Amino acid sequence: MPTPMLDAFQVIADPSRRQMLQLLTKDSLAINALAENFDMSRPAVSKHIKILYTAGFISIQDIGRERYCILKQDGFKELQCWINNFDKFWVSKLKKLETILNNKAK
Amino acid sequence: MQTEIKHTWFYNQPPEEVWKYLTKAELIAQWLMGNDFEPVMGHDFKFCTKPIPSLGLDGIFYCKVLEIVPFKKLTYSWKGGPGNGAITLDTVVIWTLEPKDNGTELQLVHSGYNEENISIFSSMDNGWLKNIQKIDELLNRNNNANTNA
Repeated sequence: MPTPMLDAFQVIADPSRRQMLQLLTKDSLAINALAENFDMSRPAVSKHIKILYTAGFISIQDIGRERYCILKQDGFKELQCWINNFDKFWVSKLKKLETILNNKAK
Repeated sequence: MQTEIKHTWFYNQPPEEVWKYLTKAELIAQWLMGNDFEPVMGHDFKFCTKPIPSLGLDGIFYCKVLEIVPFKKLTYSWKGGPGNGAITLDTVVIWTLEPKDNGTELQLVHSGYNEENISIFSSMDNGWLKNIQKIDELLNRNNNANTNA
């Protein structure tokens, strides 16, 4: 089954994925160890991990016989970038309001 | 870590004048976006703009008036998403007006960038987060410079 391409906010909109990221902020975890925290099937866990991986929130490394999930900054950067975009949006709008108000006064 | 957008802007006009531009649909449209706003508590309205695919937004923002204190404060929810009713952005916009120096100091706070996301941010203490903070500080410094101009 293909992994859907989700934007950063959609990725984080899911509570299980949020919980996975939260667990990984404490320490990198083997997929098996991560899965133990969730009351869901292994394929379901794998699907979430794949989504996190595809969106750049985690990287996966083989250490010994285990596959480890490690937090990665790319996904989070996208969130930050998103907020910054909105920041710029508001500055341009506030300026525009100033121009309109000042022109009207003339 | 930045958890909200905050800007303070000075206008030469009195609060009553600025207020009109925050609360009259046709005046809001002149500087912000097309809308069907009404200054009524609980009123559901929409802002419409062009789709912004890079941000996963279809260009429609679903809003509701949450608080309204004439000439002083206006709060509305601000939700959006990629379409089909999916909401990925669930935020609140707060406008505060303060008379000052024969004009108005208008403060905008756009907050609620998904509190749960933010808690993920703040619980991280990896080196890269500090770098992001640095970038953030620089951006904010620039923005503040603009804002106070």
